[in-house]
Amino acid sequence: MSRFSRRDFLITTAGAALASSMAGAALAGLETPKRGGTLIGTWGGFEPQSLFVPPGGGSSPYFTSTKVLERLIRLTVDLKFEPVLAVDIKPSADFKSYTIKLREGVTWHDGNPFTAEDVVFNAMQYWKPISAGVSLDTLESAEAVDPLTVVLKFKAPVPEFFLKSVLAGKSGLVIPKHIYAGSNIITNPINNTPVGTGPFKVKEWVRGSHVEYLRNEKYWNPGLPYLDRLVIRWWRDPASRAAAFEAGQLDIGTFNPIPMPDIGRLTSGGKFIAETKGYANSAWVTTIEFNQRRDIFKQREVRQALLQAIDRQFIADTVFFGRARPSLGAVHSSNAIFFTKDVQDYPFDVKKAGKALDAAGFPVKGGSRFKLSLVSAGWFEENIKIGQYVKQAFEDLDITVDLAVPDRATSLKRIYSDYDYDVAISNNSGSIELIPSTTQYYTTDGIVKGAAFRNATGYSNPKLDEIVAKMTVETDEPKRIALAKDFDRLATIEGPLLPMVDLEPVTIVRSDVRNHSATADFMGESWAELWLDR
Amino acid sequence: MNRIVLRRLAQVIPLVLAVIVLNFVLIHLAPGSLFDVMTAEQQISDPAMLDQLRHTYGVDQPTWVQLAKYIWSVMRLDLGFSYRQNAPVLNVIMDQLPATVILMLAATSVALLVGVTAGVLASVRVNTIWDNLISLAAVFFFAAPSFWLGIMMTVLFAVKLGWFPVGGMRTIGAGNGAFADALDVMHHLVLPATALGLFYAATYARVMRASMLEVFRLDFVRTARAKGLSPARVVLAHVMRNALLPIVTLLGLQLGTILGGSVVIEAVFSWPGIGSLLFDSVMSRNFPMVLGVLVLGSLLVAVANATVDLLYLRLDPRIRAR
Repeated sequence: MSRFSRRDFLITTAGAALASSMAGAALAGLETPKRGGTLIGTWGGFEPQSLFVPPGGGSSPYFTSTKVLERLIRLTVDLKFEPVLAVDIKPSADFKSYTIKLREGVTWHDGNPFTAEDVVFNAMQYWKPISAGVSLDTLESAEAVDPLTVVLKFKAPVPEFFLKSVLAGKSGLVIPKHIYAGSNIITNPINNTPVGTGPFKVKEWVRGSHVEYLRNEKYWNPGLPYLDRLVIRWWRDPASRAAAFEAGQLDIGTFNPIPMPDIGRLTSGGKFIAETKGYANSAWVTTIEFNQRRDIFKQREVRQALLQAIDRQFIADTVFFGRARPSLGAVHSSNAIFFTKDVQDYPFDVKKAGKALDAAGFPVKGGSRFKLSLVSAGWFEENIKIGQYVKQAFEDLDITVDLAVPDRATSLKRIYSDYDYDVAISNNSGSIELIPSTTQYYTTDGIVKGAAFRNATGYSNPKLDEIVAKMTVETDEPKRIALAKDFDRLATIEGPLLPMVDLEPVTIVRSDVRNHSATADFMGESWAELWLDR
Repeated sequence: MNRIVLRRLAQVIPLVLAVIVLNFVLIHLAPGSLFDVMTAEQQISDPAMLDQLRHTYGVDQPTWVQLAKYIWSVMRLDLGFSYRQNAPVLNVIMDQLPATVILMLAATSVALLVGVTAGVLASVRVNTIWDNLISLAAVFFFAAPSFWLGIMMTVLFAVKLGWFPVGGMRTIGAGNGAFADALDVMHHLVLPATALGLFYAATYARVMRASMLEVFRLDFVRTARAKGLSPARVVLAHVMRNALLPIVTLLGLQLGTILGGSVVIEAVFSWPGIGSLLFDSVMSRNFPMVLGVLVLGSLLVAVANATVDLLYLRLDPRIRAR
């Protein structure tokens, strides 16, 4: 287990984080990367619907598109922003405008030069209206000052970390203006063979099987990428992925590619490594939420009592085979910037929970306190087990539970469109920056009927809205972190929705694959620096 | 004979129409819609964007208008556009159809060969150790979940022995001409076709055995033996040919399900077939894709039925076209 505890250090002490990253850098410096070779990679999910889905489209198209399309900057695993297509991003004194200096000599895969006009097009036609959504609400204009300089102007002050997170995040991919201008970006056929500035070019996508990329010989970073060829293949069955690893036909798999019990067997021989770094900027949690439209859940004490009736450690150990940890607060524990331990805890205590329900006016009458419907979203296999466990846990409190584990489409409709649930179990993946991916589950403006993965509980608290509003425009970093902790404390004590367990996804990688897991969101890493020691 | 073919083909039009209407209604009755799934995946919450997408997907129109539009486009041989794959439905299906057809034909051949041979052997050696072993194997392969069988075969033949690749249909980036490519596909095909074929073979073996035993008791077999024909000729020319009719019926039914593919075997061996496409499309309520596969499927069923009818005629001339 010692291999996996690396992240614990990252979270608890900044010193250890620094030390471990320096050790990593020193190690990488010692070995001379080798050029060439083919890497076969996969992830713990299915084929994407399209290689690039402009509004996002989930993890699978994100995985396939980020080998081709790049961003202005990236967030490293020790949470520093590094230049990619932009060499410098500077705010003005009032934080209402940002000057972006672009890299020279970058060309698109089709030979056209990458210029400031591309970035202006992306900011106004792609990021703001399609991919970033509310994050760039205050973006007023983008202007190309010269071919390598863009100025973004905002209506209100924008914190530097916030803007850089958007640009380095899932929504910040840079697409070519000369291909997309004048077309419907979402339905443009080029999305199935994206053209970008990245280290790899799409050679061929064989639907149902794999996508093959070739090295971009004219990549702006000379000498990169190290690989000649990259293949992303999809297996629908985790056990088959484990077999492919063992047969030497698969080199790397991100986001839990193989069954949890197989991880120990595969890594024990030293031929494979299980790596937990690289998931901080897309941190997955399993949440529980209480529909505020039901009278029983309008009482905070009832929500808190139910939270106390759930043994989170049991879920982490039994359902996730230890590859999850009980959540504390509303922020994922891997979030080294905003996570705080100074929040209300809900230790497992059925007796106390029962007493709290008695006091709240729900004593046991005729064998039951009340009846509730529990909807556990069936998109992850684990949610079936968690749903069954939570049902039992609530039944131990003498609550009658009607459990449903509907399929993906039905779950989305019941939880986020029809609000047809009393208690729901769902998932989300949040970025390091809390606005909007985490805050929109609690704020009033997060309530958008029919829009998934937002405030579906109907919870509305002006005090919390105010904290988030302040965070949105607070440009002083320490003050902003203090506000985030206020938000976390309030959200946790109110508990309309809270994470139960923080998931710890694993990358399985052959030990001769080097320089992987360098960024905070490994699914979106370009793999330019990855090399094979063969 | 022409009449049979014509009559079968005339049935296609109401069949396709019924398939469209029924499945359209079913998929709209299921909770959730393609629009919900797509906007959830894409994390869209901007109301203007939602409206724009509703219009793009055509879900802003009443359901009956959508249905009428779909039927009209199928009549013009256009299966529509799948916004999920961002490509025309027919293109996506045609991308994955060859893989499915190859797998299912190979599996059916394995099933026929193994099943019929085992059935004949069991009936000739009835109530011996051979018969019992074959029955045992048939029950085993029928009852063993095909994903388990697939994984076990992968572990043994691909991981431990390294004889076959772990899934897929081609060696990526091989491309050395048509002949090498065909060999490569066949190499990849062995495990999935066997895993799937043995499952069907179990049924064929049981049916063939029963059917053979029944024919053995008939008078003309006694006559054939009395004529002094060799035992092999009695079994192959007289008994087997007459016992084949139920097998042909089974085969016809099975050919009709080819387009459905086998989701399970495709998943285990990452075979790029249509079963997974259909499954994903149902899960994401992508009705143009589901309907596209089903419309093609119903055409195939009609063709398979006509073929089976013709085969009956060939095997047993007493069955005449009425």
